[in-house]
Amino acid sequence: MFEQFLSTILKAEFLFSVIRITAPILFAALGAVVAEKAGVVNIGLEGIMMISALFGVLFSYWTQSWLIGVLGALVIGVLLSLMMGFFAFKLKTDIILAGIAVNMLGAGGTIFLLYMFTGMRGNTGALVTPNTLIPVVNIPLIKDIPILGEVLSGHSVLTYVAFLFVWLLWAVLYKTSIGLDIRAVGENPDAAGSVGISVERIKYIAIAISGALAGLGGAFMSMYYSQGWNSGMVAGRGFIALAAQAMGRGEPLGTMLSSLLFGLAQALRTKVSGLQGVSSYLVSVIPYVVTVIGLVIYAASTMQKVKKHHTKAQKGA
Amino acid sequence: MEQEDFVVQMKGISKVYPNGIAANQHVDFFVRKGEIHALMGENGAGKSTLMKILFGLEEPTDGEIIVNGELVHLTSPSVAISKGIGMVHQHFMLVPSLTVAENIVLGMAPKKSGIIVDYKKAVEITEENAKRFNLLVDPNAKVMDIPVGMKQKVEILKALVRGARILILDEPTAVLTTQETGELFKELVSLKEQGFTIVFISHKLNEIKQITDRLTIMRNGKSMGVYETAGISEAEISRLMVGRDVVLSVQKEKSQPEGSVLKVRDLEYTNKWNKKVLDGVSFSVRRGEILGIAGVEGNGQRELVEMLFSLNVPDAGTATVNGENILQTEQRAIREKGVSLVPEDRMVYGIAGPATIEENVISDRYTKKQFNKGALFNVKGIRSESDHLIADYRILCKSRKQQVKMLSGGNIQKVVVARELSSKPKLIIADQPTRGIDVGATEFIRAKIVELSRAGAAVLLVSADLNEVIELSDSLIVMYGGKIVAYFDDTSQLDDMVMGEYMLGLKHQTDEEIRRVCYE
Amino acid sequence: MSNRRLLVFNILRGVAAIMLALAVAAVFIFLTSKEPLTAMKYLLLGPLVSFKATGLVFNSTGLFTILAAMIPTIFTGLAVCVMFSANQFNLAGEGVVMLGGFVGALCGIYLKINSPLHPVVCVLVAAAVGGVIMLIPALLKVKLGASEMVTSLMLNYIIMFVVLHFLNYNFADRTKGSTQTYPILDTARIPEIIANGTKLTWGFVIAIIFVVLVALFMYRTKWGYAIRMIGINQSFAKYSGMQVGAMIVLSQVIGGVLSGMGGSIEVLGRFNSFLWKELPGYGWAGITIAILAKNNPIFVPFAAFFIAYLNKGCQQMATYSDVPSEMIDIIQAAIFLFFAAEQFLAKYRQKIVVKNTQMDLANQAKAAANAEGGSH
Repeated sequence: MFEQFLSTILKAEFLFSVIRITAPILFAALGAVVAEKAGVVNIGLEGIMMISALFGVLFSYWTQSWLIGVLGALVIGVLLSLMMGFFAFKLKTDIILAGIAVNMLGAGGTIFLLYMFTGMRGNTGALVTPNTLIPVVNIPLIKDIPILGEVLSGHSVLTYVAFLFVWLLWAVLYKTSIGLDIRAVGENPDAAGSVGISVERIKYIAIAISGALAGLGGAFMSMYYSQGWNSGMVAGRGFIALAAQAMGRGEPLGTMLSSLLFGLAQALRTKVSGLQGVSSYLVSVIPYVVTVIGLVIYAASTMQKVKKHHTKAQKGA
Repeated sequence: MEQEDFVVQMKGISKVYPNGIAANQHVDFFVRKGEIHALMGENGAGKSTLMKILFGLEEPTDGEIIVNGELVHLTSPSVAISKGIGMVHQHFMLVPSLTVAENIVLGMAPKKSGIIVDYKKAVEITEENAKRFNLLVDPNAKVMDIPVGMKQKVEILKALVRGARILILDEPTAVLTTQETGELFKELVSLKEQGFTIVFISHKLNEIKQITDRLTIMRNGKSMGVYETAGISEAEISRLMVGRDVVLSVQKEKSQPEGSVLKVRDLEYTNKWNKKVLDGVSFSVRRGEILGIAGVEGNGQRELVEMLFSLNVPDAGTATVNGENILQTEQRAIREKGVSLVPEDRMVYGIAGPATIEENVISDRYTKKQFNKGALFNVKGIRSESDHLIADYRILCKSRKQQVKMLSGGNIQKVVVARELSSKPKLIIADQPTRGIDVGATEFIRAKIVELSRAGAAVLLVSADLNEVIELSDSLIVMYGGKIVAYFDDTSQLDDMVMGEYMLGLKHQTDEEIRRVCYE
Repeated sequence: MSNRRLLVFNILRGVAAIMLALAVAAVFIFLTSKEPLTAMKYLLLGPLVSFKATGLVFNSTGLFTILAAMIPTIFTGLAVCVMFSANQFNLAGEGVVMLGGFVGALCGIYLKINSPLHPVVCVLVAAAVGGVIMLIPALLKVKLGASEMVTSLMLNYIIMFVVLHFLNYNFADRTKGSTQTYPILDTARIPEIIANGTKLTWGFVIAIIFVVLVALFMYRTKWGYAIRMIGINQSFAKYSGMQVGAMIVLSQVIGGVLSGMGGSIEVLGRFNSFLWKELPGYGWAGITIAILAKNNPIFVPFAAFFIAYLNKGCQQMATYSDVPSEMIDIIQAAIFLFFAAEQFLAKYRQKIVVKNTQMDLANQAKAAANAEGGSH
């Protein structure tokens, strides 16, 4: 069995699937990164992905254009995150509770909306046609390289966008003035406020970017990955993204690496569950367990660092 | 006086915070163009609130503000900045992981092609202004790596680069060394000569006398008037600030100290910025005496107290209470050894604001037998305990069920003191016990401390208030630069001038003289 | 006197939040339904009223089913109250309910105890397992500083898949069409209070008893006191000498115990066998309830009633109109957001505070004047 397992994962096809599976987590995790940089915990990523995923399908169905579908999902993601921001920054709802509320909308609200818009229950199978799905791209030259071509070429447009965004987000955070403002607001909001940066405005911008990224992650799920929307589709990816952000130390590149780790875990799960005599349920646990282990390692190493500086005084434990 | 004389006119300013504290009550504050104007008052007098209002960080509940003859609504710092107002805060408003240049241009960063930060330009701006205003800084250093004095220069530059003509400095010397203070004063005078107006918040008399033209004194949220600095004596200023003559009326018998309760030996601590904050600190506190620690803030007093209550971990050294170690242990164990602490930051450590007075006064003793009946609380026992404490410590409140955060500052501190002094402590550490509270509460708390010490408790008093520390203490040590630089076994003959010289590091005693405080 | 004014304000504020949430629901209904008035009628009145030709008739079965539906959510609501009071955003109640239900069911199937103690044993075992599982996020938080929020979210999925694994591979009744366990023994079932098929079991009474117990625990014991103080100001609690770490663990373990109980009581009372195939949603409902109850256990049954009522209303609406029952999630989210909004109507609160302060200052001045007059 072990050999069978090895031969499965050592194929180009497996690495291809790792990248494919990583993309939506990466989108949401980058969303978590930008929010966290501005000092905002966006636990609503899960719900935003769900709702955007649904609207991606609906918009593309109504317009028969995948691009409008994706953009629609992005816009919905932005609107939802702005709503979260309004409650959290303006009305001072705890940001975590605001996120939980968005997740509630994502869980039941989507089913409600789907039914109200289409009369369908639970999934959108019938709405999906080839031109409403995100197209795949074969990269010239690279696609002809053996193995590497198989791994890197033939992904959806959005997959490449996801990895491109790692670099783009890094550039935004570290090279642009808005990035400077975001980092300042997250690290010392009083300092940012004292030089006339509107802390609230920057937080809105950060959470909006976060929502846009989660929206793209949602579109990826429904318009490429699952080829249609269903109620159990996101399955905690928004939460895993939070863990990926934490493990990646809040930096785009680190977060990409931890997202890839979770992607790998998910891909393993898919592969292993295809093997004889393996419980698909236990295999399903892998990504979540990996997440917890990753988080624990990260927390433990941070703790170690803190201890070295022996400033542990203020912490509760 | 002509209108246009004033660059800032704040008229009838009132501010009530959401927790009901009235920080400003009908305050008038007028600043002339091109002067250095001191805003004075004890901690909690309302100076900071008034200046936060002027900088747009707080909105006044009532009153109007006129800047350069124009009625303004300072709804945010950016509005204030656009009116030419800049502020250097007591706690630096800097982003540690960014460079000096990035901090200086923060919020107005020069850009290439619309969005990309032009970092070179930022460095140029920094260097140019640093030269122009003679405030030398290293533009490429990260703020977390530079010394305090330079941080302050960065702060002043930040304001100037933004076109500030009116500079507010909130207790700028509190964190500076003597040298740095001297340097700062030169810079301020030079700015004044260039036509800038400076509002200087402080409660240090010598500094005010040295550089300001006029001063406004605040007390308990109200203005006590505006004076020409040259025309008012220090004694007069003190009287206006504290509301009574400097000589305190602390009635106390001579102490009869015996046997060391607290023994601190060779305590060392280097903080995360690699500054040696505690450098071989050794002393003893005896039964029945109040040992004061005097010193300018930031000379290790805070860290010393943190160590003694295990809120921080020293690098080396020992501390024992009646022979038992108290370092690096649990607070519960420390309290069981009879140590209690009136913490410096009462809002962070001293109270749970939204909880009731009752819940706040039992936080150190709620597990005791008398307050529990089996698994349940003994409600009657707790009620009578809190009613007693409210009566004994004259806490002004509606009932023991009132939320502590709704009380005035003085009454909040009485809640803390009631708890800390009523546990029959063998050692009381009182860190700034009367900071920022009203006169009545202050005198009450001081009398209580004396009472307990005369009944046999050892008291370690840390206070930045020189009057308090001299008058209340039986004996006294002075801390400077993380070291004990003087010990006086009798405070009755001390005068401020001598103390000042020790506190500012101009003088220090010999090691033998200092060593006497160990009582070995 | 002035405190009362603030209390009244807080109540009015809560009512306003709920009205606003219902208004949001109404907007959705009017936008999307062809028969909005019918939908609204069933949503608001349907749970307790039958619409007969002769007019409105009170529907007692409706009341029973609402009370029955409150059983698991009272437990999860209490669990969240305890954990949130300690400022622990542990969201694993959801998973622990499922685990508790599963463990309770297994005890009800495989433990042969022919006495009324059988369900008691089942519930206690489920509660213990719930408490133990919550040690994971709690200890990771206290020992390593790992966010209990993220670990508890992951724990939900882990629990779900592990339960489904055992259900499918070890305990499934292969004679049945759908995946479920063998039937729970009659001795383990929790009986209805009145045998009328509404599933209002003795579990309801137990739930109410636990409301009182948890309220006593939180407000009348040293542990509850410590938990609340830690939640308000952890630095203060530490400085006061409380065992902060131990109490943080305790709060989450109690959350697990209550969630586990809730799950097992629900399964043993409502179903013939264990057949949940996904997380049942009671954990999330518990969060809404705790928010509505302001983390005060005494208010939990009222909040649970309100949510159960709305749930039933949504089901009625779905049955008799074209609006689907998942409307409940939109209403819940809206209530949640407005209710938890500190600044919602805060301007009015500030006005009251300012007024109170001015009155206090005036009174103090008067008192001071009197005192001075007296002393001279």
